[in-house]
This record gives sequence, C-alpha cells and structure tokens, in this order.
Amino acid sequence: MKAVLLRFGELFLKGENRHLFEMALFNNIKKKLQGEKFKLSKTQGRLMVTEFDDEKTIVEKLTTVFGLHSLSVADELDANEDSIYEYCKNIKLRAKTFKVEVNRGDKRFPIKSMDLASKLGEIILENNIDVSVDLFNPKQKIMVDIRANGKAYIYDKVINCQGGLPLGTSGKALLLLSGGIDSPVAGYMMAKRGLKLEALHFHSYPYTSPEAKQKVVSLAEKLSNYNDEIKLHCISFTNVQEAIHKYCSPEFMITIMRRIMMRIAERICKREGLGAIITGESLGQVASQTMQSMTVTENVVENTPIFRPCIGMDKEDIITVAKKIDTFETSILPYEDCCTVFLPKNPVIKPKLHQAENEEKKLDLESLVEKALASEEVIFVKPNE
Amino acid sequence: MIYLDNAATTKMSEKAGKEQLYWSCSKYFNPSASYEQAFEVAQALAGARERLKKLLGVKRGDVIFTSGATESNNLAIRGSVRDGDWNYIFSAGEHASVLNVAKALEKEGKNVKYIPLTKRGDVDLDALINLIDSKTKFVSCMFVNSVNGAINDIAKLVKIVRERAPRAVIHVDGVQAFCKIPFKLEELDVDLFSISAHKFHGPKGVGALYVKNKATLKNMIFGGGQEFDKRSGTENIPGIMAMLVAAEEIDVRANFEKVKKLNDILVKQLNHQGIEFVGTCEKSPYVLTFICDGVNGETLVRMLEKDVVVGRGSACSSKKAGNHVLESMGYSLNKIKGVLRVSLNAQLDENQMEEAGKIIKKKYLELLEKMK
Repeated sequence: MKAVLLRFGELFLKGENRHLFEMALFNNIKKKLQGEKFKLSKTQGRLMVTEFDDEKTIVEKLTTVFGLHSLSVADELDANEDSIYEYCKNIKLRAKTFKVEVNRGDKRFPIKSMDLASKLGEIILENNIDVSVDLFNPKQKIMVDIRANGKAYIYDKVINCQGGLPLGTSGKALLLLSGGIDSPVAGYMMAKRGLKLEALHFHSYPYTSPEAKQKVVSLAEKLSNYNDEIKLHCISFTNVQEAIHKYCSPEFMITIMRRIMMRIAERICKREGLGAIITGESLGQVASQTMQSMTVTENVVENTPIFRPCIGMDKEDIITVAKKIDTFETSILPYEDCCTVFLPKNPVIKPKLHQAENEEKKLDLESLVEKALASEEVIFVKPNE
Repeated sequence: MIYLDNAATTKMSEKAGKEQLYWSCSKYFNPSASYEQAFEVAQALAGARERLKKLLGVKRGDVIFTSGATESNNLAIRGSVRDGDWNYIFSAGEHASVLNVAKALEKEGKNVKYIPLTKRGDVDLDALINLIDSKTKFVSCMFVNSVNGAINDIAKLVKIVRERAPRAVIHVDGVQAFCKIPFKLEELDVDLFSISAHKFHGPKGVGALYVKNKATLKNMIFGGGQEFDKRSGTENIPGIMAMLVAAEEIDVRANFEKVKKLNDILVKQLNHQGIEFVGTCEKSPYVLTFICDGVNGETLVRMLEKDVVVGRGSACSSKKAGNHVLESMGYSLNKIKGVLRVSLNAQLDENQMEEAGKIIKKKYLELLEKMK
C-alpha cells in the first residue's frame, strides 16, 4: 500500500500552541483534498495520507498546503525483518550510487538503525548490477522509516512543499489586488505566513474594460489554490477618480487616489474583521511607492497594519515568484487598470502630508468613500479545477 | 438598446433560423451518401449554388461553400499562390483575414506589395498602377471597407489589372457589400469573391467563395473531396440553406435607399464640433465612422452600451491599440483613439436613428467634459 508521509515546517517552534497549529494544518489538508478518495491520519505527531486512488492529484494538492515542509510517497509494509528484506530485494536502483538511511521511530524494533541500514545495503547491492554505496554523496537515498504503528515506510524521494504556517493561523487580512504582477505575489507571501486572504479590487468602468476586471478574478482564482476560497470585493472607483481629476491638482491624482483606496480598505477590514491590509508595493518602483508617498498614503489608515512583503524585492525576484504561483501570464495581459486612467504626466514623487491634506479639502471625501462602498460587488472565487 | 454594430455581425433572421433547424433536424442526411434521402439533400445543395450565383448576379463560375469569410479569403489567397518569380498585391485596408495571410506570404519569401489608401479612404488606384507589372500573380482588394465604409472602384481596379497583368487573379472580399450594395458580379469581372452569412442576417460559421475558374484554384483542405475537391468536409447544409434564405429575404436596392436615409439622419444628429467623419470618398451607407476628438473611443463604447451598441472600426481588431485603415489614411494615433464605427441594418427606423445620434452626441460631450 502507498502512503504519503507529510513533514511540518516551523510548527515545532510553536511550543504550547503547537496543537492549535497542527489542528489547523490537519483541517486545511482535509479541506484541500475534498472530493478525492483519501484517509488522513496522525500518528506520533506525524501526518500521513493513505487509501487514495489518484496519487498525482493528491501530491499536487498537498504541495500547495502552507505549513507542510515536504512530503514523500512511500510504500507501506509490515515492520518486520522478513518483509523489509523481501521488499529490498526487489528494489531496482535508478542511480549508480546509493545509501540506505533507517529511522526507528519504534525502538522496540530488534535491529539497531545502523545495522539494519548496512544489512539492507548489502541486499540491494546483491540485486543490482554495477552499483556502489556512497555514504557521503549518494545519487539515490533509500529511506526506511519504522513507526510505532507496526509499519515500515520505504521511499527514495522528498518533494518540497510550500513551508510557512497553516492558512488562517495568523488571522485574516485584505489584499489590494490590482491586476499587476506584484499584488498576487504579495498575497501569496502573506498567505504563506498563515494569513487567510480576502481581496479588494478597484475598477473604473467604463474607463477600464470588463476584461480588466475578469483578469483580477482570474488572478484571485490562481491565488485561491493556496488560499481555499477568496472573497473578492470589487469597488467602482470611477466617481472618485472623476472627482479628483476635476477638483485636485493633476500631480496629486495618484497620491489622493491611494489615500482614498486605503480609507476604503480599512473600512472593509473593520466591517469584515480583517486584521491587516496587504499591498504589492516595492520601494521606489513607481512614483506612488517612494518612502514619502507611502508615508502620506498610510497616514489615513488609523489602526490597521499595512503589510508590504514585496517592499525589498527587485522586479525580477517578484516575477520569479509570480511564475512559480502561475499568476505571471495572467498579470501581463494588456488591460488597463484603474491607475492608468487620468494618469498625470508628472505625478508627485515626494508628496508632503499637508499638501495632500490641502488637496483633499477640495473633495467631499466622506460622500465619495460612501458612494464607492455602496458600489461594492462581492465575488467568491474558488480554485479552478 | 439600439444595436448599431451590424458590420461586426447581424441578428439572424427568424426565417433563416427555421430553415437551419429544418435541415438540421428533419433533412439531416449526408449529401454524399447513396440513398434517396441523401440525394434529396444533394439536390438542394446543388440548387443552393445556383441560387447564390443568381443573388451575386453571375452566370459563369462556381460557388464553394466555406465556414465564413476568413476561410474564403485564406482559400482564395493560398489557393492562388504559385512557385516562381511572381508578386502579390494587397490593399493596405484589407481585413485581418487577408492582411495576415499576406504577412505570412512575406515571411515565406514571396514578393508582397501593398496598395496604400488615399486620404479620402478608398484604395489608391494611381499607386496600384505603379505597383503592378506583368509578374503580378494576385491582387486582393475589398469591395466595401469594413472600417471606414469606403466603396472601392472595383471595375476600375479590374481594368487596371487586366491591362497590365494578364496572368493576375483578382480577389475581392465582398463581405460588407453582398446583400448591401447593389452590384452584378458578372459586370465586375473578378475571379474570386468572398462572402459571409452572418453579415446579412444569416447564421455564423458559414460563407462562400465564388470562383470564376475553379481549375486555377489549388486545394487547401484535403479529405473526402467535397466542394469540387477544393474544400473537403461534410457540407454545412443547415448553414448553407439558412444563408440562402437570409439573402433571398433582402431587397438590396430598396434597403440601400432606406439605409441611405437613416445614415443621413445620423450624420445630421452627430454634426457637432469635435466629431469628425472619416472618409470623403464614395461610402456605403451601412457604415458610418467618425472620430470623437479628445476622448477614448473604448470608454465611450462602454458608456453607450446600455442605450446604443456601437463598434470601433472593426470587431476583430478592436482590442488592439491601432487601426491600420485609419493609419493608412494618415490619421494620428491620438485621433484614432477616439474612433467609433456605427453600422446599420435596414430594419432600423428613423426615430431610432435620431435617438441614437442624440445619445451618442450627449455621452461624447459628457465624457469630453470629464476628461478636461
């Protein structure tokens, strides 16, 4: 029988709270594998999936679960010498050098780990032509895991998973999702740290197209592979932009826009019980992402932290992650987003707070925010299977 | 909602829809089979060819039914390409289904030339005289330009080509002309002529290529030998029969006069500072293209969509930034950004035209104000 052995990431660091993290991980795995045939069990603090049909899908899905460090697909056999020897006789090595590693979780097993490893090495050598043992740099490692449930697990591959913390164990947060490359990456990075995401998108219909909005739904769909379901809040920003364009100095267009976006984001956080705002900002990337711009922008947020996980990343690094999580190709589709409408020729790069506040005095802020919130459309986005 | 994007596609006629259903569900037999039921379908198909030739106004030649104008255009061009030191001439204003084949030929090393458009909007026939020579194998020019509505002088073009390039095959993309502009194909004396059913209230996915001399056309799709072995595949009988019914319902001359009037009303309504009509040559009344200066046409299309549905030059390329027809006419990219194309059908009435014109103007001015 086959079994998928799962290894935790940082959960061991969590001391007293460890069981809470483990329980969250257990539940997240169950949810992720919903619709598949499987059994998830926990023995000696380790998780294992057995009794499945579709190994490829099970492994694929498990590699997107945060909190798992790695996994191995193992053959499960009875933990006695005969069956282990018999199994090893039939191993056909893929590589020319190998090594056997034994781990006795069950110390009642009569042969010591080192002795068993060398015995199994001999058996494998006898049954494979032209191979040798290399203890330091083997091309193939045969791992034998003997557990207290009376079973032995033998495998030779370790598949890396996402690492991080189980989704939801850090709370819930709101991701500002634009349609560009950076914001989905920011969302992924924070979800990896245990934050369950909701997303907020601003569109400027009719200045932006329905395709631009659909692109954001597609991005949310990709992100939901790591985040279960995403509640996507879509807000029409058209009135706000028209008002800023009409009443404020053009160079402050983006600054004021982002301050109003933040106000709306915080209102949604409060209403939905979300503990942080996440943005894809990267220092110095564009005019609105200078230190001074961010200072002026975040000034309107009263008591919600803003997480900017991409802040110190180069564009290339962000793109690497975007490709890994499969959002890159969608992000580069050429549809205008709301930030390109009414784009000023020379946006202010180092705005001062009092300047922005003076500009905003020309607007009926409360009414604009209220109207924008009233336009909200909520879409529940699920992974596309 | 007033639908004014009929050059992109038209609403299908109900009679054509019933015809399609009849040949799908009652007379569904494969015309190539040997039993009597199939023979009946084969007879109907043969009849359809003659009916279409009659509608085109031509006695000689054959009709090859296709999946639509894109296939017809591809077959016309690809089927006429020959080895040797030939050149191929295309008008710069052609539809993508012609221009992109031309570009592919260029890549394959063929000598391809383009006839520019005049500032008036039609094909520059003086330029053609300089491009053409005895080694010209193929000339393709659309009858009515789908982007600016220009009616090209095909008779004159044919005369120029026949005099200077006796071996040349002349192809005309007649998609925006057939069932809209009164003409007799016989008098135009072209070799190949493409049409598409969904542009005249027929179904989508069916069209035809008229071929004066099918022996000169190479086969592109191999298979069971249908359509004179030029286009294999079981014939789309329901589509073909529905296309014929849709075309036969149309009184081309009466509709032409009616749409002319509708077009005039719209022009009058839209007459306003900032709105610039495209093209001063002879134009089809079915297409009215204009530039709304200072705004983005795409935004305007979306502002209008609940009341009036309009297009932007061409549906096939509306998602792309430029517009090759207006560029060829010499318009700047900034102007092209504001382009809208209104295209009519004969079922519209004068009140709708007045209303549509008023709404378009109103929304344009509204958007212009916001952009200030």
